[in-house]
Amino acid sequence: MGFRTATAILVGRAVRVAARLRGGGSAIPGTIALKIAPTFLEDTISRIPLGVVAVSGSNGKSTTTNMLAAILREHGLKVFTNPSGGNLPQGIASAVLASVSVTGVLDADIAILEVDEGYGPKITKMLKPTTVLLLNIQIDQLNRYHEPDRVVRMLEQVAGSSTRALILNRDDNHLVDLDKRLPGTREVTFFGASPELISGAAHGVASADRFDEGHIDAGAREAEVTVTDVGDLQAVLAIDGRDVAVRLPARGLHYALDAAGATATAKAILGDTFRPGLVTAALGGLSTVYGRGELLQVGDESIEIIMMKNPASLQLNLDSLQSAPEQVFMAVDEGTPDPSWIYDIDLSNLDHIDVITGSKAWQFATRFGYADIPVGTVDLDVREALKLFLALPRPTMGRKTMILNYEQMMSIRKILGFKELEGGGQ
Amino acid sequence: MSDLTLRILHLFPRTLGMNGESGNVDILRRRASSRGIAVEITRLEPGVAVPLQVDLVFIGSGPVSAEVQAHPGVADVAPGLRLLAQQGVPFLAVGAGFQLLGETVTLADGTVLAGAGVFPVRTVIAGERVVGDFVVESRLGTLVGFENRGSYIDIGDAAPIGHVVYGRGNLAASGPGAGASAAAAAASDGSSTGATLVAPDARVEGFWVDNLIGTHLHGPVLANNPALADWLLETALARRASTALPPATPDLVEIDRRAAEARATIAAAPLSE
Repeated sequence: MGFRTATAILVGRAVRVAARLRGGGSAIPGTIALKIAPTFLEDTISRIPLGVVAVSGSNGKSTTTNMLAAILREHGLKVFTNPSGGNLPQGIASAVLASVSVTGVLDADIAILEVDEGYGPKITKMLKPTTVLLLNIQIDQLNRYHEPDRVVRMLEQVAGSSTRALILNRDDNHLVDLDKRLPGTREVTFFGASPELISGAAHGVASADRFDEGHIDAGAREAEVTVTDVGDLQAVLAIDGRDVAVRLPARGLHYALDAAGATATAKAILGDTFRPGLVTAALGGLSTVYGRGELLQVGDESIEIIMMKNPASLQLNLDSLQSAPEQVFMAVDEGTPDPSWIYDIDLSNLDHIDVITGSKAWQFATRFGYADIPVGTVDLDVREALKLFLALPRPTMGRKTMILNYEQMMSIRKILGFKELEGGGQ
Repeated sequence: MSDLTLRILHLFPRTLGMNGESGNVDILRRRASSRGIAVEITRLEPGVAVPLQVDLVFIGSGPVSAEVQAHPGVADVAPGLRLLAQQGVPFLAVGAGFQLLGETVTLADGTVLAGAGVFPVRTVIAGERVVGDFVVESRLGTLVGFENRGSYIDIGDAAPIGHVVYGRGNLAASGPGAGASAAAAAASDGSSTGATLVAPDARVEGFWVDNLIGTHLHGPVLANNPALADWLLETALARRASTALPPATPDLVEIDRRAAEARATIAAAPLSE
């Protein structure tokens, strides 16, 4: 270990302690460590014996990384991973600081890293993953990526960096044949859902449209792990002709596909030592990742959080509602700079909204007007709006519902007194 | 008004339908039907001829890849569209659709695509992409939306929709301090009270001559700007049946109140990347 990395660890850890005492400031220690030692990630993570597994895609990265880490741990491996949302270089560096020894050693057999699409090419070039898992390419953050094709190209670079194995979603329009466009060789396997499940879902897997012609259709590859049934909070995965029941963090085919992706990846990594039965145990013991179908307890009421990171995640989460939620709060701010896509969303699973807040509230209220969905109160002051919503009588179904963008999910958690912040240390 | 059905032609809805663009057509339909005017929408994909009887034409936006994909269909619809335009049928063309209905689109690799020639404008895919809130002062008042483009559009001496208050507009701005980010900085400088939100040069947005409107306002554009939607419906009705657009019904009045709040919120504190 070089002098710079040693210094980065000492300074970074000190900053981390200081930041935690102040309550938050998750990515700052990593940012500082990378400033001191630009090769900080290579120097620490590259020394892990079984190498790096990168997980990327538009939606489900945190959930799937969590699942894959659990399955590998259930198989007896020591796993280093980045906490949900900490998927930029500085977030990963912060995670390293939380577990690295002063001599620069991470006590882990394998690293499972959730990787941001935009930073994916840079991160994978640094860390040279043995294995890459790509989940999906959906319309996401157009203000940031401008067009899905750019995301496709970035993920092609990520996939091409894998030296040993690549795991792809066969039901995604762009991923179904992504392996055919890559130079080099590696073992390629697929996961997916049965055709009946895909056609039975209101909006399929909400995969981004593809405009080039003559490519392989989504679904037309043999899958190593297939979702064959989805229940309320469980799913059945077919693995090597064997049906394995797994628990899901929340309702929905998209969560079942995340589980299939994690399982197929564990299988690719572990080879002969993979045991399908351990998947059930691993996924049964997981808690939900923040804001992904999470239930918060506030006083004696529970609040279901529906995150609307992007059109696909909102549509799939709305599709998985079993009835129109009784009390609905919505908060959207500048984290969603261009909400044009709400006009592409089928909102028919909602029958009213009680309170809308955040700087984009009036744009959403206008949309609901055109969709004939009644809106109670619009108040741009998030705290006031929250107060109003929490003061509503207890719902007969015992559950309130919040539809939030990522930034509002984080800030509302904080307001409600849930202190741990995503992207921080453990 | 009972036997009048307004015929809207929606061009290339699948290829140029990303990011809420179809919302523009839904909004036109709703604003007509609430007032008792029936609407018939023809969704035209590439390879099909333009119908002769049309009262309003809409084409939406999409990424460059979709624009390239839609382009082979342009030649087939060009003569029909030019005829409709000459007959005074109102057009709303947004983003990539606006570009394809112009004269040429020059791609980043230098390839020149021939447009439909409805709008006398030329597009070049180039320059730094501008992404952010977009505020334009027009003859219908303040129009608000979202700008997300990596191209320049030259409208020659034609009239624009209006002057840019926040954002970039058709061309790279010239003159000192005229970059998009410089304008953004100037516009958001200082406190909200008394801050000047006028861009430091004469940048303009879009194209509006007679019945033809082209723009890079997204949002979708008609969601935040119902006055523009009503202008299109008014123009279509006047041409078709010399009929005035009935006043907004209570449901529309409430929607428009919300849209006015949305415009005010964005215009008071516009942001860009």
